[in-house]
Amino acid sequence: MPKEFTIPPVTFPTSNTPNPTTTTTTTNTPQAPHLHQRQPPTAPFQPPRPSASSLPFMSFDIASTSTSTTSSPFFPPPSSTSSASALFAGEEPSLLEELEINPSLIWRKTLSLIHPFRLNTSLHSDPDLSGPFLYYFAFSLFQLLAGKVQFGVILGWLAISSIFLYSILNFLAGKNGNLDLYRSFSVVGYCLLPIVIYSAASLFLPPTPTTAAFLIAAVFVIWATRVSSRLLAVDDLGASDHRALIAYPCFLIYSLFSMLVMF
Amino acid sequence: MYNNVGAQRPGQQPPFPPQANPFGTTFSGAGSGLLRSGLTAYGEKIFGSSSEYVQSNISRYFADPQYYFQVNDDYVRNKLKVVLFPFLHRGHWTRVTEPMAGKISYKPPIYDINAPDLYIPTMAFLSYVMLAGLTLGLYGKFTPETVNWLLMKGLVGWFLEVSLLKLTLMSLSSGETPLLDIVAYAGYSFAGISLALLGKLFWRHSYYILLPWSCVCMGVFLVKTMKRVLYAEVRSYDSGKHHVLLLLNALAQIPLFLWLGNITVSWLF
Repeated sequence: MPKEFTIPPVTFPTSNTPNPTTTTTTTNTPQAPHLHQRQPPTAPFQPPRPSASSLPFMSFDIASTSTSTTSSPFFPPPSSTSSASALFAGEEPSLLEELEINPSLIWRKTLSLIHPFRLNTSLHSDPDLSGPFLYYFAFSLFQLLAGKVQFGVILGWLAISSIFLYSILNFLAGKNGNLDLYRSFSVVGYCLLPIVIYSAASLFLPPTPTTAAFLIAAVFVIWATRVSSRLLAVDDLGASDHRALIAYPCFLIYSLFSMLVMF
Repeated sequence: MYNNVGAQRPGQQPPFPPQANPFGTTFSGAGSGLLRSGLTAYGEKIFGSSSEYVQSNISRYFADPQYYFQVNDDYVRNKLKVVLFPFLHRGHWTRVTEPMAGKISYKPPIYDINAPDLYIPTMAFLSYVMLAGLTLGLYGKFTPETVNWLLMKGLVGWFLEVSLLKLTLMSLSSGETPLLDIVAYAGYSFAGISLALLGKLFWRHSYYILLPWSCVCMGVFLVKTMKRVLYAEVRSYDSGKHHVLLLLNALAQIPLFLWLGNITVSWLF
């Protein structure tokens, strides 16, 4: 039911003939005609566009896309926006670079961890969370193959053990501690690699209550402990009187993870 | 709550400028920026901006945890020997003091074998959780939830021990011992329990030898330590009352150890 307006409706200079089907939505604002017009916005205030009409916006050309980018939430697909920005920036960073995933670095770090005796600690001085993410997923998927759905458990344990290791090692180091939380996450995540290999291998190895299975688990846990304590000892804690003190929390963490695999 | 300090990336900020803040000396270093900023924010939120009130209350309970972590390998090894075989400790049990600006303070654990530390209790507690999980796994009852359960049980046991020691100290002396000292003394019991559990994994019957052994050792350790603590605090020495309470302390270790050492998934036995 149309209302009586005392104010005449505002017509903007760029508006065409008003949409004949104005009866559908009963809006009482003077800017009602704009809701049904496919025009780039020229008024300073724009009501949010209904999502049903987002399809027509895909036919915009790039110039109007860039001006209206900031105002409306219902927008043309991201490719046009990024290509718009690309056109403005001059070159386009690849998606992996934007996400800071560096596959060659992950591969190099993995290779350096596999060799159990020689460890290139300089590779690990810049922390990285994409490798640990891959290891977490691989670990969870191997556990899934073994019939245990433990995605949340592993993620939670990783987080808690990283925070715990961060706090303990900073307490131990005192004023010289330069282990930050990001690096702690990175080290714990990367040194999960032996446990991932163990969970893959345990699908084929004898079941747990045998002594041989415990020995195999012990080998992997000690491998993980050795690697992680070497990586963490690069800080000022590297003094020889602290090595066992750093290694023991790492040992506890990885033995807990290996218990997830064993039982 | 942490909006005002969470904007910076934790751990990668330069050390805070010194403030009139009780945690200024406690949490220094880039790594503990998050802890300190979190605690500062929390303290200021509760008490407004009166850092004096914060200082008087919070630092009474959490006096400088950094002190308890100044340890090294040798200290850990020797302290474990003291805790597990207290009869063999040849030296004295008093803590070495160093006078500092008119107030007597104790030397940190690196320099003094009798000083309490928090590294060993924490590691012993986590070893207890891990070994108990392993034991449960051998019975076939290990799930990730049981780890949480064992953590809670261990924490309750730790809390019971702390309250036992705190009650003893409060009834016998003025009760000015820092809480973290008492937490440290209570946590040493987990070293003995972990040893007993480790023995149980290798030979079932060794548990019945190791558990009473660690019970007795913990009793002796607590008696000797509490005696020194009381000497340091009390003016008059009422030996009858002291001895009875200290003996009760030692005897109370027995049910506590039995409860903690019995690894099941239910509350009691």
